[in-house]
Amino acid sequence: MNKNTHFKRYLKLDVLPTPWCPGCGNGIVLKTICQSFDELDLPKNGTVVVSGIGCAGRSAGFFDLDSVHTAHGRALPVAEGIKYANDALTVVVVSGDGDLLGIGGNHLLHAIRRKTDITVICYANEIYAMTGGQVSPITPHNTKTLTTPDGNPDYPTDIQSLFGYHNCFFARTTAYHLGHMKKCITEALKFKGFSFVEVRTMCIVNYGRRLGYKNSNEMLLNFKDVYKMNDNAEELAPDEIGIIRVNTDGHR
Amino acid sequence: MPKQLLQGNQAIAMAAESAGLKFFAGYPITPASEIIHEMVNKRHIRVLQMEDEIASINAIIGASLAGLKTMTATSGPGFSLMQESIGMAHMMEVPIVIVNVQRVGPSTGMPTLPAQGDVIQCIHGSHGDYFPIVFYPNSVAELYQYTIMAFNAAEESLSPVILLSDGYISHLYETITPSGDFEIKVRSRSPLGSGNRHFTGLSHEDSLPKTSDVDNYRRLITRLQEKQQSVAQRYNYYEYLECSKDTDTLLISYGGLSRAAYYFKNDFSLYRPIRMFPVVEEIRSIASRYKRILVMEMNTGQYAHEIERILHRNIENIPILGGRIDLTEMKQKIKQKMNE
Repeated sequence: MNKNTHFKRYLKLDVLPTPWCPGCGNGIVLKTICQSFDELDLPKNGTVVVSGIGCAGRSAGFFDLDSVHTAHGRALPVAEGIKYANDALTVVVVSGDGDLLGIGGNHLLHAIRRKTDITVICYANEIYAMTGGQVSPITPHNTKTLTTPDGNPDYPTDIQSLFGYHNCFFARTTAYHLGHMKKCITEALKFKGFSFVEVRTMCIVNYGRRLGYKNSNEMLLNFKDVYKMNDNAEELAPDEIGIIRVNTDGHR
Repeated sequence: MPKQLLQGNQAIAMAAESAGLKFFAGYPITPASEIIHEMVNKRHIRVLQMEDEIASINAIIGASLAGLKTMTATSGPGFSLMQESIGMAHMMEVPIVIVNVQRVGPSTGMPTLPAQGDVIQCIHGSHGDYFPIVFYPNSVAELYQYTIMAFNAAEESLSPVILLSDGYISHLYETITPSGDFEIKVRSRSPLGSGNRHFTGLSHEDSLPKTSDVDNYRRLITRLQEKQQSVAQRYNYYEYLECSKDTDTLLISYGGLSRAAYYFKNDFSLYRPIRMFPVVEEIRSIASRYKRILVMEMNTGQYAHEIERILHRNIENIPILGGRIDLTEMKQKIKQKMNE
């Protein structure tokens, strides 16, 4: 089989298409996750994908592996239960920013604290997209959404800051930086302990078009303009992408 | 095994171990905390104290899908938090055991006092239609016995089974002889990591979400209901004490309160459901022999409504509220009801 198409072995191609809108970034992330699986040659029997609810949450059903599509916000405790029940499994959580940081935010704090050896891929599109486009925990300040017609009065959660001194892996990447995204996900999967990859991705239909973007590609190219790679950072600035590992002694 | 003096909650933990429990997740709550205290001392059981009851039930759902027998224990406030995921476990067909040691509610209520206010929540607490199997023992020996039954019923039905208790029987100390002479059911489904199945709370067919296929949804719910009914029928547990004197009255009570109701066995016939839900069919034939049916319970009539709904006849209800089980008061209330 052609190595470039080998990632497809992790997908249930017969259940496509996905329920995602044209221009959605989720497919890019889904494909890249499978490419990382392929790079590491993860055994299909022995890898489990767990997701929450929302657009990103629907990803789980497209993996040709055992997968669990949990209740809204509950992917993390389910994934932790799986991992603690069978340590030999590679457990990967795929979900959105609303699911992981909003309704499931408390579980994230404690999964970090417990350092459960799972990998979380957060499809960070800054919006509750499946329900039409309401403000999410990482929607930027002053941004208009269906539930913040006068602009978001709050400031977004800095996901990185939640990791504090805990011995974890955190990476930020975007749907534009394909090679970087794959590297982040692969490294996260290799990390022994709790790893979290924040993938900035785009929702044109329920978010971008209301902000004035003409199309999805414009949103994608915006990632290129905004985000700068920082490979040796101790802490990422809001406009930087890169990998942060916190050592066992608590130092970055 | 030799005779042992055990607290109700200790008996639950001991029985769970005998039934093959391997993973327990929970959150501290009165009057259920002794169960997790017991669990942490058991060598072959992985115990996690989670951040809340929502995390607890979801962790045991995950661990169960990964192949282990799992359990959580809580009281009313925690049970309320678990409701959404209980529905999910029914939809995904995940065997788990949930112990609810009831205390006085609603809300924080009276944490140290017993109640039976969560009876209807067991079957209607989560959204949508689902058909849980619920046991409610009334002694330390029975807590031991029905904890094992709960695990077996969970495995047979691939669904969450609820073991109700209350602050009274869970904190009661009695001498029991824990028997190892039980059949233990094993998991009929292979664990996660051995296929390409998709477990989802969405309406589904053969691992595929079917979010707008109405006929498929109807087939799914019918199948789940029939499955629950057929497994429940293997656990037809109740206690019926026919009065030696001629009486036209049947007194129904259950759980902790039914211990006090034995006092009235020479005045009325007594009926005690042990498998609370689905309601045991035999109640129909037993009830048909009596003119009056009194349901005495530590709530304002939750099981009375359910009996009324099933028997299509008038049921009289005697609420014993606020956690006080006082025989003088009970006698007075029954006398008053009989004179009405």
